[in-house]
Amino acid sequence: MRTFKIKLLTGLFVLVWVLAGQAPVAGAGALLSDLENQLMCKCDDKCGKVLINCTCSTSDKTRAKFSKMLESGLTVDQIVKMQVDEYGETVLSAPTKFGFNLTAWMTPFVALVAGGFGVRKVLRAWVGKRDGIDTAETPAAEPEISKKYSKRLKDELDGIEL
Amino acid sequence: MNDIGEFTLLVALATALYGCVAYVMSARGNRIDLYLSADKTPFIVWACVMISSICLLRAFLTDDFSLQYVWAYSNRELDTFYKVASFWGGQKGSLLFWTLLLTTYMLVVYFQNRSKNLRVVPYAMAVMLVVVVFFLFLINFSTNPFERIPLPPEDGRGLNPLLQNYWMVIHPPTLYLGYVGFTVPFAFAVAALISKDLDDGWIRMTRKWTLISWFFLCMGNLFGASWAYVELGWGGYWAWDPVENAAFMPLLIATAFLHSVMIQEKKDMMKVWNMSLILLTFAMTIFGTFITRSGLIQSVHTFDEATLGYYFLAFLFVIIVACVALIIARLPLLKSANELDSFLSRESSFLFNNLVLLGIAFATFWGTIFPIISEAVRGVKITVGPPFYNQVNVPIGLALLALIGIGPVIAWRRATFSNLKKNFLRPVLAGLVMAVALFPVIPLGNRAEIYTYVTFVLCAFVLTSILTEFYKGTVSRMGLKDESVVGALTTMTWRNKRRYGGYIVHIGVVLIFAGIAGSQAYGTHTEKHLKTGDSFEIRGYTITYEKLIAIEATSVKTRIIAQLAVERDGKRYWTGHPEKEFYKGQNQPVSEVDVLSTWKEDLYMILADFGEDESATIKVYVNPMVSWMWTGGWVIAFGTMISMWPDRLEQRRRLDRVRKQEQLFPSPAQE
Repeated sequence: MRTFKIKLLTGLFVLVWVLAGQAPVAGAGALLSDLENQLMCKCDDKCGKVLINCTCSTSDKTRAKFSKMLESGLTVDQIVKMQVDEYGETVLSAPTKFGFNLTAWMTPFVALVAGGFGVRKVLRAWVGKRDGIDTAETPAAEPEISKKYSKRLKDELDGIEL
Repeated sequence: MNDIGEFTLLVALATALYGCVAYVMSARGNRIDLYLSADKTPFIVWACVMISSICLLRAFLTDDFSLQYVWAYSNRELDTFYKVASFWGGQKGSLLFWTLLLTTYMLVVYFQNRSKNLRVVPYAMAVMLVVVVFFLFLINFSTNPFERIPLPPEDGRGLNPLLQNYWMVIHPPTLYLGYVGFTVPFAFAVAALISKDLDDGWIRMTRKWTLISWFFLCMGNLFGASWAYVELGWGGYWAWDPVENAAFMPLLIATAFLHSVMIQEKKDMMKVWNMSLILLTFAMTIFGTFITRSGLIQSVHTFDEATLGYYFLAFLFVIIVACVALIIARLPLLKSANELDSFLSRESSFLFNNLVLLGIAFATFWGTIFPIISEAVRGVKITVGPPFYNQVNVPIGLALLALIGIGPVIAWRRATFSNLKKNFLRPVLAGLVMAVALFPVIPLGNRAEIYTYVTFVLCAFVLTSILTEFYKGTVSRMGLKDESVVGALTTMTWRNKRRYGGYIVHIGVVLIFAGIAGSQAYGTHTEKHLKTGDSFEIRGYTITYEKLIAIEATSVKTRIIAQLAVERDGKRYWTGHPEKEFYKGQNQPVSEVDVLSTWKEDLYMILADFGEDESATIKVYVNPMVSWMWTGGWVIAFGTMISMWPDRLEQRRRLDRVRKQEQLFPSPAQE
């Protein structure tokens, strides 16, 4: 039980670390990059690119606007909030980490952990089966094999249409 | 000619339909006459599709703008090179191109296997013909590339400037060869299910096809990244766009399949799992085409007239339901004596490798479809972009990297503690040395840098584990056969092509991981507005803006080129020529970047803007280790070639195995 708790805590720690936001970075350039990374380009062509990856003329204007906003003392979070108010959640380059959107972040890890337990269970069963055979007398395995081949033969014969 | 092209498409559809029915009826009723008749259809279908493709290509090359498709994707000024590429530039032509590749693959399969396994091959041909019928149905009745314009215009609209790049001729065909190729193992898997011939015969028959398709899909993804890097002008190569994801997911699942079939071949286990994986891989290739052609998910790659979503969705639904039903029906036959000698074995590591690969595929799938789920549940449309995929997939990817290192050094069947200690010692030491050596010299200020540090440590671990395998094999061969190092290494690799080819592929994957890590964490960029003669510095490079050059390349294309001198340590090192290309009738100019690529880093230059006074806005990125990724791609190509090379020894071993089986279970004729 104790081992399970330790594993659970370790798993949660890794999950929190992975899901935690980026460490704050200093410098105006880094702040602008952070902001560009968090927002989508909202050009008329609906290019569907993250602002940092976009090369259209609208993105250049948006960058210049954001630079001025940062220089005026607004924080990245404040600018992001202003953008969300103006365009809605679709302007964000990734889902938020609360409410229903949290499922976007959690589901892959939950699936992976569940899959991990599944693989562990399967492996245990397969190893256990082998151990069971090892302890048994060798001839005992023969009927099993014969049964397998008989069944296959029967199925194949069933498949033949006369 | 256009009438011939259109007519042959109809003939191809009718013949393919007949072929499907005839193959199935001949196999079910043991009708040799029907089989002989059906056996002619793959060639007829291929010939018809080929004639149709030649007709369309001719229309492009002769500027026949009476065809709506040619008008929409070509013009008189377009280079012949791109006129050929325009064939697959739009939805209609790309579907025809897809069908051409599919029928070509089908023809090769037909010639390879027509005299082999007559229980499985007719069904496999029928399944491939069903897929061909689906595509031919779309081409004939929904997206006909031979659709006419009543009054043909003088000139065409032209190919999208972003597609006028040499990668346009390489990337889509490569990717399609990968996508389409998975139809072959899928068809054989379904055929094995229908015919109840469920030993590893279908895997052996399609192993090379799986490898070829995997190789092309892998290269297609890398070529796409390379194209994005040089054409889109944002300094990156992968944007986790839904269509990029669509090509990435089948690659992951196919990789899992390539590993897990080894367990089936060695131990006759995991039949259901392998069957499911190959069916899922094929389903994912159809899902990819659904994304590109449905317009349901916003993507920069989506075709202009993305209207075929419902057809693909219906086809996908039918495939999934039919395959699941078949697997369930054959479950008793697919059951195998699943047993392992030990928890600590290579078989177990392969299972975890499968888990992690599918984990990344699922995370990518989930991110791709989450905007639709969000809209359905909350009524709010959201975006799932690179920050999501980077945060979710990077840690899982690191686990995969670690497993690549663990796999080769862990023994098949049962690994003992002493065996583990002996095999892991060198790789773990190499990882530790790398960790200690890098710790004082590389920054660890944010999560990206920490991930990169972990990646480098794991790369050292994995590379050592693979190289140790080569070293051990070479040394033991030198001792036994008295050969030189090169001789022993070459012979050893040549005699075990599959194993060592696979290791070489893993080395390529390590290089790709290192390249991604280095370029993501330690890159830098700057943007400067410069007048002629102005200079600035970035990472030890002094860049001077020398002049702006304007060239009227053609009557529809004007090139504006900035000349930039790059100095290092006071000496002229290179001259960069980033440019902007303006096309008549296009709102946005296209950036053509210039890149100085070395093993250490890429100096990546973009002409962002320019003024009438010849001033220019220049963006410069320094992207470390990007060339490691492209090198990794070539290493993967080399390793795959070795793995695929025909192996007489393996064939001999298989023959011996068959003879032994025949001695155990003699056929009635022998008795």
